[in-house]
Amino acid sequence: MNIRLARPDDLAGMQACNLQNLPENYTMRYYLYHAMTWPGLSFVAEDQKGRIVGYILAKIDEEAKEGEAPHGHVTSISVLRSYRRLGIAKKLMLQSQEAMAAIYKASFVSLHVRKSNRAALSLYRDTLGFTVKDIEKGYYADGEDAYAMELSLARFMIDTGTIPRRPTLEMNR
Amino acid sequence: MSKLPNKRALPSREAGQFKELLNLYESRQLKKGLKTADLILKKFPEHGETLCMKGLVLVHMGRREEGIDLVKKGVRLDLTSHIVWHVFGLIQKGEKNYEEALKSYTQALRFEKENINILRDAASLQTQLRLYDALVETRHTLLRLRPNLRQHWVALSIAHYLNGNTKDAKAVLESYLSTLKNVPPHDVEQSETLLFYITLLEELGEHSEALSVLDSNSRSRAIVDRTAVSETRARLLTKLGTPEAEEAWHTLLERNSDCYDYYAGYLSNKGHTLTEPSPAALQIVSDLAAEFPRAKAPKRLSLNLSTGDEFKSRAEAYIVTALVKGIPSLFSDLKSLYADPAKKDAIEEIVERLREHYKKETAIPSGSEEPTTYLWTLYLLAQHYSSLGQHKKALELLEEALEHTPTLPELHTFKGRVLKRAGDYLGAARCVNDARVLDGQDRFLNTKTGKYLLRAGMVKEASNVLGLFTKKDASSPGADLEDMQSMLYLLEEARAHEKNGHPNLALKKYMAVKKIYDEIEDDQYDFHGYCLRKFTLNAYVRMLKWEDNIRGQASYVTAALAASKIFVAAHDNPNLVKSLSSTSELTDAAKKAKKKAKKAAVKAVEEKKNAPTTATHDDKGIEPQSNKDDDPDGLKLLGAPDVLEQAAKLLAPLTAVAEGKGSVGVWCAVYDVAVRRGKVLQALSALGKAKGLDAESPEVHVRVVDLKLREAKLAEAVKEGVKKLYPGDVGVETFNSQYLQRQEGRAESVLACARVLGLLGAPLEEVDNAVFELLAGERAVGVKDAVKALEFLRSIKSGREEEFRAACDARFELSTAFKSKEEQAVIREQVMTRGPNGGKDEAVTP
Ligand SMILES: CC(C)(COP(=O)(O)OP(=O)(O)OC[C@H]1O[C@@H](n2cnc3c(N)ncnc32)[C@H](O)[C@@H]1OP(=O)(O)O)[C@@H](O)C(=O)NCCC(=O)NCCS
Repeated sequence: MNIRLARPDDLAGMQACNLQNLPENYTMRYYLYHAMTWPGLSFVAEDQKGRIVGYILAKIDEEAKEGEAPHGHVTSISVLRSYRRLGIAKKLMLQSQEAMAAIYKASFVSLHVRKSNRAALSLYRDTLGFTVKDIEKGYYADGEDAYAMELSLARFMIDTGTIPRRPTLEMNR
Repeated sequence: MSKLPNKRALPSREAGQFKELLNLYESRQLKKGLKTADLILKKFPEHGETLCMKGLVLVHMGRREEGIDLVKKGVRLDLTSHIVWHVFGLIQKGEKNYEEALKSYTQALRFEKENINILRDAASLQTQLRLYDALVETRHTLLRLRPNLRQHWVALSIAHYLNGNTKDAKAVLESYLSTLKNVPPHDVEQSETLLFYITLLEELGEHSEALSVLDSNSRSRAIVDRTAVSETRARLLTKLGTPEAEEAWHTLLERNSDCYDYYAGYLSNKGHTLTEPSPAALQIVSDLAAEFPRAKAPKRLSLNLSTGDEFKSRAEAYIVTALVKGIPSLFSDLKSLYADPAKKDAIEEIVERLREHYKKETAIPSGSEEPTTYLWTLYLLAQHYSSLGQHKKALELLEEALEHTPTLPELHTFKGRVLKRAGDYLGAARCVNDARVLDGQDRFLNTKTGKYLLRAGMVKEASNVLGLFTKKDASSPGADLEDMQSMLYLLEEARAHEKNGHPNLALKKYMAVKKIYDEIEDDQYDFHGYCLRKFTLNAYVRMLKWEDNIRGQASYVTAALAASKIFVAAHDNPNLVKSLSSTSELTDAAKKAKKKAKKAAVKAVEEKKNAPTTATHDDKGIEPQSNKDDDPDGLKLLGAPDVLEQAAKLLAPLTAVAEGKGSVGVWCAVYDVAVRRGKVLQALSALGKAKGLDAESPEVHVRVVDLKLREAKLAEAVKEGVKKLYPGDVGVETFNSQYLQRQEGRAESVLACARVLGLLGAPLEEVDNAVFELLAGERAVGVKDAVKALEFLRSIKSGREEEFRAACDARFELSTAFKSKEEQAVIREQVMTRGPNGGKDEAVTP
């Protein structure tokens, strides 16, 4: 399994993978928006034939308030059924988290997950160390609740010595 | 032109009102804007600029046609005003008519050379249309007008780069970088700009310069993307051939020890590849495997790089680990090794041995192995034999596994796959549905079931199943999947409609695929400005290159070729539409589709109404509302007088991206359309290309004869061209039989020869006999070939269709494709109801 940064020519494969795995789908425009705004944050897994079998689509939350440190957000992650339990999702997550911290000084990463999604919950909470911050009632189109989860990225900052001297930095001039 | 600007000049009161009108439009206060426009027009009904502005306001208010009429009138009344042309350009841009929009913008610029807004829009249009010479000029003007804007510098650099002038791109970027002051620390935009600068240096071959820029800027942390830094560094060091390259690749492996590109870099630096076996390369990869024990890649790579006994022992260890862990993807992981027959045999021998071993161990209670290991071994072996075409053997293995554990969805899905390969589409759908029922929460199994049902032609059932995961407020499951741009769904359903004898419905789906590609092409428009503001330059230029080639993607190619074929069939058979409209089943489907489309249209309008807009909610925007579909069953489309032009339009982008043997189909399709449109030169050139790629292709053979038969009607001038494709003087019959002899009876060629006999108007009996040749002797014929032959017999109204069907049914034991209609109906009933335990569970219809 090859794990690497996503390029524009991977977007169609990521979209196809998402459509097979999850009920939350997006048009190509939204994938392009991610790739053209945060080109360093999304990753893919491809099989021996170069087919995309897993992906993470990630961004920096733009709704962060003035003066708040930026944080990352996982828009979507999934792995084709026959390639699950190989550690792919975990690896994709770690690559993306490191990039969020290094490129954007993201202090933490957030995501939403269905309350009933055992596999994903176990991955986020037990394997990666996310904690539940909030329950969002009726978050999904079919009415299911979401857990809003977060994980601090401080360890990546320490690792790489990129702890910001000034805690807030004006990014959008 | 006698219309002079003095006609444009308004008295001061109205001039003030006109200014206000512009402001009201900018803030989308449409009603007020309309009133103001009317005030001016009361006194000056012929004032072109006001008419245009009123028209623009009306368009935004949803009164599109009326508005556009006014805009056109306004343009005619004041041809030298930049405002009227700008408005006209905005409307055309909204309609995605980029060419015409650019013409209007160019007119506007003639009368207002330095208008920043118009120049920016023009630049986006020029990029969209790939008019890079003109783009460079526009970017130059913008930079001259506003040199203090940072994005104008990078924009010019990008324009040069796109125009193929990397040197100038570099020079512009250098002057920009040297004049920059007060760059804040950790600035992502600056970081991206520097990375683009390094790309330019690298592409110019200035590797050491690129390296020193990279190093100094990553040390100072001006470049913040560390993955990009390390990757670029390793690449540059390799190109420079320095010993430090090794360490650079190693650094990357430490960051991500599952990235094949990094292994490729590390090995190539030492003169090896990822695929060519060599003891030295094997040693390197083994060392890396020891260093990164959790990485999967080096363990797998060692199988590429070893041979003989070394391979056998490594493969066995690799396979055992995976079987014990129960990894479903093991076979697809190993499959690429089969390119080497020795490795394929070794794997078969290993897995057969393991099967014996686990079987014994599992049989005794005190055995040392988990029973699931045995299960996964059977699963792997079944995949192995199925890939070699030994479907029966595969099925036996799966039956044993299912006996053991009936609840593992993977066993059912794979059984479905084997049956599909053997031509039992209905049984395949049943198995995959059984898997789905075992894990109803998983959309993957749901999608797969939908796909298999469509393969079996069960459109309604597929829709019900897929609907379990699509949005409930969509007008139908298919509508949601189409909105979400699911190529898989559209192509599978199209194929199902074709198979069911509804080419019109199939055409709708193929055209929907085309529409998605139009959308994706339109999507890039906004990024021409956006990426420059965000400075994501490397990503942007890569995106443009990707967009340049999207029509080469398999989904587009498939849709375009299939749709073109349907268009051609409609052209050849003027009764097609009539015969399709008269089948009652279709009218039913059409009625339903019409009702749905109506509902969807109402909904779309309502959604647009509810959609939040930035300004007042009565703004309908400048783009045309997606109008409701007045041809849901596709019969109008199929019966249109311009079917061949439609087909030609679909195929046109393919000719630019078609390459290699796989594109024979593209050139044949181009021939089919061109020859019917009377574009003889294009037809000749396309067929020449196809023949050049694969001279003996059956599809080419049929068309060469087709061309020969048309020769008499062609102009003298092009007959030379025919000679090149059909050399010699032999008669067509002889030409045909010679081809058959050369092919030694390849199934596809047998059918091609029968088709040619049909073209020649041979007696039906003779054509029938040619088709039956397929089943004679020990010829290797696949289910797909036989299905094609059966369809061909049907299309020529052969009297022996039934006989052929029965013969195929006897020959392809596992297949249900050749069952009689009645038998198929019975089997179809069972698809959704049998359940994983052969009917013991309750019925499972969604
Ligand atoms: C959730 C999902 C992305 C996990 O992908 P994956 O590549 O299989 O996950 P990994 O192999 O990296 O799993 C890492 C760890 O997560 C946990 N985990 C993953 N899947 C699990 C499952 N089905 N049950 C329990 N734990 C699970 C395990 O602890 C696992 O470690 P282990 O295999 O060593 O025990 C995948 O199951 C998927 O695509 N599901 C459908 C789409 C989806 O739900 N996406 C998430 C939306 S929020």
